[in-house]
Amino acid sequence: MREEELLRIPIKMDLEYRYPTGKHFTHFFRVLKEEGKIMALKCPKCGYVFLPPRPACGECRVPLEEWVQVSDKGTVQAFTAIHFRFHDANLGRERPVPFGSALIQLDGADSLLNHYLEENDVTQMHIGMRVQAVFREKRQGNIGDILYFRTIRE
Amino acid sequence: MARKVAIIGTGQTKHGSQRDDVNMMEMVHEAATAALQDAELSIRDIDAVLLGNMEMFEGRALPEMWCGEGAGGTFKHCLKIATGGTSGTSVAISGFQHVASGLFDIVMAIGFEKQSDGHTPAGMALTDPLWDRHVAAGAIGNFALSISQYIAARGVTPEQAAKVAVKARRNACNNPYAHLQLAQITVEQVLSSPIIAHPVHRLDMCPTSDGACAIIYAEESRARRICAHAAWIRAAVTRHDYAYLGDLKDRLTSMRTLRDAARVAYAQVRIREPLKEFDVAEIYEPVSYAELAWYEALGFCKEGDAGRLIDDGITLMGGELPVNPSGGVLSTNPIGASGTIRVAEAALQIHGKGGTRQVPGVKMALVSGYGVYSWSDVMILSSSPG
Repeated sequence: MREEELLRIPIKMDLEYRYPTGKHFTHFFRVLKEEGKIMALKCPKCGYVFLPPRPACGECRVPLEEWVQVSDKGTVQAFTAIHFRFHDANLGRERPVPFGSALIQLDGADSLLNHYLEENDVTQMHIGMRVQAVFREKRQGNIGDILYFRTIRE
Repeated sequence: MARKVAIIGTGQTKHGSQRDDVNMMEMVHEAATAALQDAELSIRDIDAVLLGNMEMFEGRALPEMWCGEGAGGTFKHCLKIATGGTSGTSVAISGFQHVASGLFDIVMAIGFEKQSDGHTPAGMALTDPLWDRHVAAGAIGNFALSISQYIAARGVTPEQAAKVAVKARRNACNNPYAHLQLAQITVEQVLSSPIIAHPVHRLDMCPTSDGACAIIYAEESRARRICAHAAWIRAAVTRHDYAYLGDLKDRLTSMRTLRDAARVAYAQVRIREPLKEFDVAEIYEPVSYAELAWYEALGFCKEGDAGRLIDDGITLMGGELPVNPSGGVLSTNPIGASGTIRVAEAALQIHGKGGTRQVPGVKMALVSGYGVYSWSDVMILSSSPG
């Protein structure tokens, strides 16, 4: 076969998706939207308080039914400032950098919430730092209703 | 009772950032052909073909359908295994289990990924649409968060992590298939490369690669007949864990899936002092800091001593336990193949075909796989069937 220049075929896709949330996420998002409260589910056996909500405790393998309200305040357990550019699947475009990101233990929860920090300077972040959720003005009933967490002094 | 099983051949593509000279199926074919050649077998000898790949990155559905033919799977038992980053070790474990079960005698397992075809960070961000997708910043974001906890718990330094990054890229110079081969790389260069997510520098992180790797397994009588230095599978363990990054408080520091997989595998082979008893390790280290954490989870040292292991050169070529003579994932990362490469490289060491990356007299080799904190795989390979 004659040597030819090899091709790459460019393809662009523009699609829409809809995801059913199931009854546990539905309750969580409804209370978040209507009352501005963050709800979690407590395991009846080991007592672990799960956020996000889910039907069962993976370790005890028992159903979760007891809803508990957790605080909008919490403690940073892990932090970073993201500097690399990437295509954000939610936005459908690049997310502006740098931005602060953290694993936050909300008061009353056991699992950690992965969310944004208002702070994007890593020298101003540390484990143990206290933060509070800042909510979207007009809540829509999704996790984006929490815009980010701001540093607080108590 | 499971049958004894050995790896009798391996094959890899030349891995690189952009294999535009082949499409995905042709790339898989390249690895499959190399493995058959290594084992001196024909595709007619293969009873089953197993594929390992992490879909979504290339924006292509059914990669196993497109690539099954390239792997020689037409009219054979042919299927795909996928467990995130562990896909490559999971498909290798499945290959072993297929033969150990007694239902198949000779099986080929192939891991592959062609990252340059698509958008890996966007593919990584296509996580749970209800929750994590909102804040997903790919593998790098997950690691950066976990590393802040690991540093706080263990006091490892950026210099110690950079030494791991340097070791990998220098070792890669002895591996003709490796993607990033940087003979002159220094700790200072790693530390002065741009921060991608604090505290991770660009050179602390694995590259994005195109590549494929194939392994051929055989049951005992054929393995003894075909291969003079067969690599016997002595243990193969998978552990799965919670999905959300925040579900566990200290994922990297505790790495409980890897710890438990190692505990079970070591008990099966009666390994008590892994640092002494293994001759080589090929572990899945997507970021420099992870290798240090895995030293602890795999029992190479006490908790908090991982930094000393790299400072003292114990895991360098020529050290007490060379870790990743191949250059590891930090040098070559075709995701679905990255785990399979670990298994193939460990087998190569036992086959005595390691070339300039050969560790002398390898009898016992350790392999690990990592999958988005939700999976760990551990395999133990040996020159003796046990």
